[in-house]
Amino acid sequence: MLPLTLLKTAQSHPMLVELKNGETYNGHLVSCDSWMNINLRDVICTSKDGDRFWRMPECYVRGSTIKYLRIPDEVIDMVKDDAQAKTRNRSEINKARISGGLQNQNVRGQVRSRYKNGQQNGAKNVLRGQTSRPLSQIAVNKNRK
Amino acid sequence: MASGLEAYINHTVSIITADGRNFIGTLKGFDQTINVILDESHERVFSTTSGIEQIVLGLHIIRGDNIAVIGLIDDQIDSRLDLGNIRGEPLGPVVH
Repeated sequence: MLPLTLLKTAQSHPMLVELKNGETYNGHLVSCDSWMNINLRDVICTSKDGDRFWRMPECYVRGSTIKYLRIPDEVIDMVKDDAQAKTRNRSEINKARISGGLQNQNVRGQVRSRYKNGQQNGAKNVLRGQTSRPLSQIAVNKNRK
Repeated sequence: MASGLEAYINHTVSIITADGRNFIGTLKGFDQTINVILDESHERVFSTTSGIEQIVLGLHIIRGDNIAVIGLIDDQIDSRLDLGNIRGEPLGPVVH
């Protein structure tokens, strides 16, 4: 399991984030990205020494300043559910792709044969019009007739 | 094996962080920057005046930047330790 997958699963859950400077931020995770930048709501910031507090409605934390995140225990079980659901979906998609692929082959076959006919028809047209033949050949043919 | 850490997954590990703290827990996952998922974790606080204090913490994501050492813990040996009677100086932070 990837740490950022777990973090994504923890969206809307409360968490504690400690920064490298020792400050901690308690709040609900709104969103996160692949750099671990995070958006928190209803935040209480605690100073490094733990004796000063600030309330703020929301804040954005740059991922590179984070030391660690403390997440509710139950979130790890929710990742398992997510992952299983995803693999289930993926296998269904693959199944669909396999059956769809065969159909596509048939369709492609039909298209190809139609195209062949088209080419043949086109070739016939050219012969009929005799536009692509050198004049000398046309003359020879006329003589044969 | 892409990383030696793969072998530690679902085992108890000790993580010493750049600020000198020691986290023990089950390694549940990691990525290419050594961000780590530590489940059922606790912190061991060393002191010279009283035994090792264990603080229960729970589920953690520790950022790779902040990790100095990850070591595999032998559960059998670890459970035999009498933490209350072990004294030691706490580690300082990593000096760059």
